[in-house]
Amino acid sequence: MNEPQSASMYESATKIYPREIGGRFDKLSKLATVTLLGLFYVLPWINWDERQAVLFDLPARKFYILGLTLWPQDFPFLALLLIIAALSLFFFTALAGRLFCGFACPQTVWTEAFIWMEQFTEGTRSQRMKLDNAPWSLTKFRKKASKQFLWITFSMWTGFTFVGYFTAIRQLGLDMIALNVGGWTLFWGIFYGFATYGNAGYMREQVCKYMCPYARFQSAMFDKDTLIISYDEERGELRGGRKRSVDPKEAGLGDCIDCQLCVQVCPTGIDIREGLQYECIACAACIDACDSIMDKMNYPRGLVRYTTEHGLHHETTKVLRPRTLVYATLLLVLVVGLVTAMVTRTPVILDVIRDRNSLYRELPGDIIENIYTIKIINQSNTSRSFALSVSGLDGIRLDGVGDAVTVDGGGVLSLPVRVRVAREDAYGISNIDFAVVATDDDSVAVIEDSRFLGPTP
Amino acid sequence: MISEEYRGAQQWSRNKQAAFTVVWISFLTAAVGTMVFFALFDPVDLTGIFDEDLEIDANAGYAVGFFFFWLLCAACSGLTAFLVRTAPKRDAKHREQ
Repeated sequence: MNEPQSASMYESATKIYPREIGGRFDKLSKLATVTLLGLFYVLPWINWDERQAVLFDLPARKFYILGLTLWPQDFPFLALLLIIAALSLFFFTALAGRLFCGFACPQTVWTEAFIWMEQFTEGTRSQRMKLDNAPWSLTKFRKKASKQFLWITFSMWTGFTFVGYFTAIRQLGLDMIALNVGGWTLFWGIFYGFATYGNAGYMREQVCKYMCPYARFQSAMFDKDTLIISYDEERGELRGGRKRSVDPKEAGLGDCIDCQLCVQVCPTGIDIREGLQYECIACAACIDACDSIMDKMNYPRGLVRYTTEHGLHHETTKVLRPRTLVYATLLLVLVVGLVTAMVTRTPVILDVIRDRNSLYRELPGDIIENIYTIKIINQSNTSRSFALSVSGLDGIRLDGVGDAVTVDGGGVLSLPVRVRVAREDAYGISNIDFAVVATDDDSVAVIEDSRFLGPTP
Repeated sequence: MISEEYRGAQQWSRNKQAAFTVVWISFLTAAVGTMVFFALFDPVDLTGIFDEDLEIDANAGYAVGFFFFWLLCAACSGLTAFLVRTAPKRDAKHREQ
């Protein structure tokens, strides 16, 4: 049955059929998948104070996260949050290896869900392999078509949910029913749905192998105390088949019966017995597989297990070590910094834009006038009054503004103001400060500097 | 003896690897670029910069901005991949020594 192969420098693209295996880690992984996907699909439907709890309203340029409203000016918080996320990944990688890859990465989680649908429609691993090799028939078509139906429906729902984070999802649902969805909304829904379909349905482990930067540089965070999945070579070798009744020691064999189950369950198609490989996403399917065999053979579990390089060589594993301590300290500092900054953030923003069309105006009575546009952004959820003032030059005063201005909750007030200074105090370029103070709370105040231009003396 | 059928024999050709890596990495960098750019600029405020009569709808602005960044980043990493991969063989030999 050997077909002639075309000469190629690369092995042929054989599909990987990961075999299903039950066990402790499989339960854990299912739990992670259900929790994470559940969170993704349910979150946009939850409301908070009459509005969607998590909504990234791009046209309005406001991000709602539970009780918090974030503005473009809060971008540093987002940047800090991303840095914290990256650093946590480094920290957990140093500590626990690729735990993220195996259990929490969206690629893994969605692939898992797609494999469930595949199993549901096409059956077990051997059934799937047989089906793919079989010629087209009505049964094959039915199975393939129902898989595609499930995959596509699920992908579309995923795309719809994704868009629901940016457009109020309840309204979006009604618009969908009425076939009245905006062009861009529809486009992004299909785009994200298609990406999910391609990534989780077809590309799968290839994404981890070829496209993921993290998979490639995670080895830099590994050391001999990092939790890895490893085959205990000392205990396993020499590997080989034997009857249950045979005492391996007498036969000169190790505990590995070379059943290949660990290879068959591997979603990236590697043999864990060859040592740590960069393709390994630490999903622990091989641990479950091997444990089930060890149980059957009445050997102790853990021939393939979570361990560290030190642990494997009977040395003690140090959890506290310079690498983890440095990561933990940095992480702690950043988290405390972020929380402090968020808590102490004043819920008002002041923008001052000097009128670029004129340098200054001379008014009768030797008075120099500059024009500014003031933007007051009220970041709190309730309407508020603010007093606006200016300082920095002798006798400087505002014109055209009352004692207090009122800005709606979450609103922006744009206000043209004239600033006047007597000629003898206004020569050259001077720095001045605008200040807004909430009339109901002195601590809600912000100062913004600008420049005042006057004639040359 | 491990049957090849079970092994991770699935490998992409180098061209496919390069193409998908370029598309994916430029997607990620474009996402970051878009975030920073639009944190600073509101697409609606950009109305009138390119053309007096051009009215930019917010949604279209974000989408076009993102695809612009994606294209730019893909061109950048695509060219880099191309140049690295098509470097003269002589040099490759030299490097191996």
